[in-house]
Amino acid sequence: MSIMDQLPEQLRKQMTGELLLSVKTDLLPDGRFGEQWLAVTDRDIRIWQKDGSPAMKFAVSELKAARAVGAVGGGTLLVDTLDCPVVIARYTAAMTPVFNFAAKLISALAKSEELPVLSERDIPKQCPTCGNPLHEGTNVCQLCMNSGKAAARMLRYAKPYKGQLAVAACMLILTTLVELVPPYLTKVIIDDVLQARNLGSTLLFLILGLGVTTLMLSAMQTVRGYIGVWVGSKLMGDLRKDIYGSLMRLSISFFDRRQTSQFIGRVNSDSEAMRQFMTDGVVFVCGESLRIVAIFVIMLSLDWKLSLFALLPVPVMIAVSMTIWPKIGRRWYQQWRSIFRLNTLVGDSLQGIRVVKAFGREREEMTRYANANVEVVRNNIRMEGLWQFMFPAFNFIAGIGTLLIWFNGGNKVLHEDMQLGVLMALVAYLGMLFGPLQWVSQMINWASNAMAAAHRVFEIMDTPSEVPEANRPVPLGTIQGMVRFDKVTYGYEKHHPVLKEIDLQVKQGEMIGLVGHSGAGKSTFINLICRFYDTDEGDIYIDGISIRQISQSDLRKQIGVVLQETFLFDGSIADNIAYSKPDASPEEIMRAAKIANAHEFIVRLPDGYDTRVGERGHKLSGGEKQRVAIARAIIHDPRILILDEATASVDTETEQQIQEAISRLIQGRTTFAIAHRLSTLRNADRLVVLDHGKIVEVGTHEELLGKEKGFYRKLVDAQKELSQIKGVEG
Amino acid sequence: MSGRYDIRLFKPEEIYFSRGKGGVLQGVVDGKPYEELVIFRTFPFRYASEYISVRTTGGEELGIIRDIAELSAECAAELDKELQFRYFLPKVHRVASVKFKSDLWIWELETHLGETRLTMRNLHEHLQFPGGNRIVLTDMHGKRCEITDWHILDAHSRRQLEDVL
Repeated sequence: MSIMDQLPEQLRKQMTGELLLSVKTDLLPDGRFGEQWLAVTDRDIRIWQKDGSPAMKFAVSELKAARAVGAVGGGTLLVDTLDCPVVIARYTAAMTPVFNFAAKLISALAKSEELPVLSERDIPKQCPTCGNPLHEGTNVCQLCMNSGKAAARMLRYAKPYKGQLAVAACMLILTTLVELVPPYLTKVIIDDVLQARNLGSTLLFLILGLGVTTLMLSAMQTVRGYIGVWVGSKLMGDLRKDIYGSLMRLSISFFDRRQTSQFIGRVNSDSEAMRQFMTDGVVFVCGESLRIVAIFVIMLSLDWKLSLFALLPVPVMIAVSMTIWPKIGRRWYQQWRSIFRLNTLVGDSLQGIRVVKAFGREREEMTRYANANVEVVRNNIRMEGLWQFMFPAFNFIAGIGTLLIWFNGGNKVLHEDMQLGVLMALVAYLGMLFGPLQWVSQMINWASNAMAAAHRVFEIMDTPSEVPEANRPVPLGTIQGMVRFDKVTYGYEKHHPVLKEIDLQVKQGEMIGLVGHSGAGKSTFINLICRFYDTDEGDIYIDGISIRQISQSDLRKQIGVVLQETFLFDGSIADNIAYSKPDASPEEIMRAAKIANAHEFIVRLPDGYDTRVGERGHKLSGGEKQRVAIARAIIHDPRILILDEATASVDTETEQQIQEAISRLIQGRTTFAIAHRLSTLRNADRLVVLDHGKIVEVGTHEELLGKEKGFYRKLVDAQKELSQIKGVEG
Repeated sequence: MSGRYDIRLFKPEEIYFSRGKGGVLQGVVDGKPYEELVIFRTFPFRYASEYISVRTTGGEELGIIRDIAELSAECAAELDKELQFRYFLPKVHRVASVKFKSDLWIWELETHLGETRLTMRNLHEHLQFPGGNRIVLTDMHGKRCEITDWHILDAHSRRQLEDVL
C-alpha cells in the first residue's frame, strides 16, 4: 500500500503478510545518527538494523496501540504492548510526519480499525538526485537547480527596457571613444605645435577641437545619465512591486514566525541594492571594459614596448581582487545581519513602547540597543576597513606601473628615441587605465551587495505559500453556507496539534458559539475556516466542496470577519467601511453603518463619513471602531460570518449596541462566534465546547446548562462567580 | 494558596527513575509507581540539567527536579539519557564545512552522535546565540545541533565559523 523507502530484497523475503509500510529511520535506538528499517504488515511489525540483522518483532495481536511521541528536534515511536510500552524507533524532526503516520497505522491495526491512508503531506520530500530535503510545496531542488542563478534572474527585470538600455549602451561606446581623444590631441599639441614651434593657426584649431570634444562629452554623459536614472527608477519600481506582491501572497504562518518590521527594510533597501547593480553596475562594467580595451589598443600603437610595462601590475590587481571577493561577500552578509538585528530591535521596542515605559525599562532597552549597535560598528569597521586597505593597495600597485613608464619613457626622451608628447600621452592613458581597474573592487562591492540582496529577495519570492491555490478551483458562485469539519487536525507546530479530529456539521444560517478555555483551540478553529492555515489532517467543506478546491479570492468573498482587535486602515471611515467593495455607493455605506449602529455617531463627527481614521484608527473609541468593522462586514455581505471576541473590549452599554448590530448582521448567515462573556452567546443555535483541541459538548445554551456535571455548566458557573465578585467590588 | 498554584520541587528521596523493559523511562514518585514518565527541561538553554519538570503521559506535572546532580548516580544517569532522547541536540565537535550553494547554506558537522548535515535557507533565522559562545543551529526541518563554545573548537572549525558569525 504505502511504501516510503524501498525495503531491501533480503528483508522483504522475510516478510509474510501484506506489506503496509516500510521506512528507514535516521537515528539508532541509543540516539546516535544511523539507520534502521521499520516494516509494518497486517500481521506484524519488524525492525532490522542497517546490516539486515533483526532487532525487534511484534505480532499485531500483542499490541494495544502505538504512539509517536514528539520531542524537541526529534521523536520516538512507542508501541503499547499488553505488557508495557516499548520504544521501537527514534527519528529526527525531519521524519516526524512519517512516524506520526506509522503510529496511526499500527494503532489502527492493533484495534482492527480502518487503516489510514498515507497522504502526500506525510512524506518528507527529498531531492531524488542529491538527497537533500526539498522545501514544502516545491519539487525543484535548490541544490540541483542552476537556473536560479540570481544574476541572470535579476537581469531579467531589465528586459522591458531593452530599447532605452540599447541607446544608453550606444552613448556609452561613443563617450568612451570621445574620452580618448583629448590625450591624443595633447600629444599633437606638444609634439607638432609647441616643440616644433609652429606659429600658424594649428594651435587654435587644436584647442578648438579639444573644446568641442569636451562639450560633446558633457552632453552625451548627461543624456546617458538621464537614461540610466530613468531605467533605474523604473526597474526599482518593478522590483518593489514584485517583492510586495510576493509578501501579500504568502500565508499567515509565514508572518507568524517572523517579525514584520524586517520586511520594510527588505522591500526598500534590497531593491535599491539590486537596482544599483543593474544600472550603475552593468553600465559601469561594460563601459570600463570597453575603455580598457580601447586604451590598450592606442597605447600599443603609440609604443608597444613601453606599454607592456603598464601590463605588469594588472595580474597582481586581478589576483588581489579575486582573493578578496568571497571574503567581502560574507562580510557583507554579516554586516547586513547585524544591521538587521538592530532594526528588529528598534521595531520591537517601539512597537512595545507602552510596555517599555510602563515598566520603566528605557535604560535597559538603551543598553540592548547599545550592544547591538556595538556589533554593527564592529562589523562596519571590519567591512569598511577592508576597503580602506583595498584602495591604497590598488593605488600603490598602479603607481608602480606609472613609475616604470616614467623611468623608461623618460630615458627614451632624453636619448631622443621618443617624443615628449608620446610620453605625456602614455602617462595620461595609463592614468585612465588604472582608474577603471581600481574600480574593479568597487564593482565587486556593488555586485556582492546586490547578490546578497537578490538572494534575500528571491528567497521571499520563492517561498511557496503554505496554503497553495488550487490548480483547478471549483467555481463557487453564491454559496448556501453549509460548513462541515471532517476529522480536522491542525497544529501550528506539526507535532503539537491544537485541534484534534474535529467533526462538525453546520447547517446554513446556523449560529455556532465556540466556547472553551483560552488555548482550547477556538481561534484556530476560525483560522482554519478562513483558510489562513491548511489542516494537517482531514478537510473542511463548504457546501460540500473542500476549501482546498476553492480559489482563495472566492472563499474570502464568502467569509466576513469581525475581530477583537479592529484594524482600520489609513483613510476615511467611508473607505474603511467599503474596504471589500471599493465601488460601494454612499447609500450602501450609510445603510451598512446604520445596521451596524454606527451611522449615528459617524454623522455627529465633524467630518462625518470623511473622518480620517489615522494609523490604527486612534481617533475612534474601541466600541466605535468595532461598529465600523461590523459595517465593513455588512457591506461585504458574506454568507459565512466570523465574530472573534467582537465585544470583548467595550463597556456594557456599547456592548448592547454592538450586540444589536450583530444580531442584525447574522441574520441568514452561517455564523461562528467566539465570546469571552458566555451570556453574549445565548442566542446561538448551538454551542460547541472545545477543550484541549477536542469537541467535548455540543448543544443549545439551555441543553448544556441542564447537564449537571457538564463542561459548559462549569464555565458558566465560574463566570457567574467572577461577575458576582466584580459586583461586590464595584 | 499553596498546593495547586505552587511549584513543587522534589526532594531527592521522593523520586526514583529507571528504564522499563521496553526502553521507556519509568519511575516511582511519592511511593507511587509510574509505567511511563515524561520529562521536560523548563529552561532548555540556560539550565540543561536543572529545573526538570516530571510529568505523567497525560501531561500532569508531578513536580520539578531542582538539579539532576542531587539525585542518586543511577537516577541521574537515567534522566540524562532520557533528556538526550527528548532534546535531540547533538553537540558539534568539528565543523567540516559551511558552504553556500544555490541559495542554501549547507553545514557538514561532526557531532558526538555521529556525522550529520544541516541545510538552511539563511543564517539570520536559523542561528541562535543563547549567550556566551554558544550557538544553536536549527535546520529547515527543525533538526538541531549545538556548539557549546565555538572558541574551543579546532582551528579549522573556527575558520569555517568566523566567516558566518
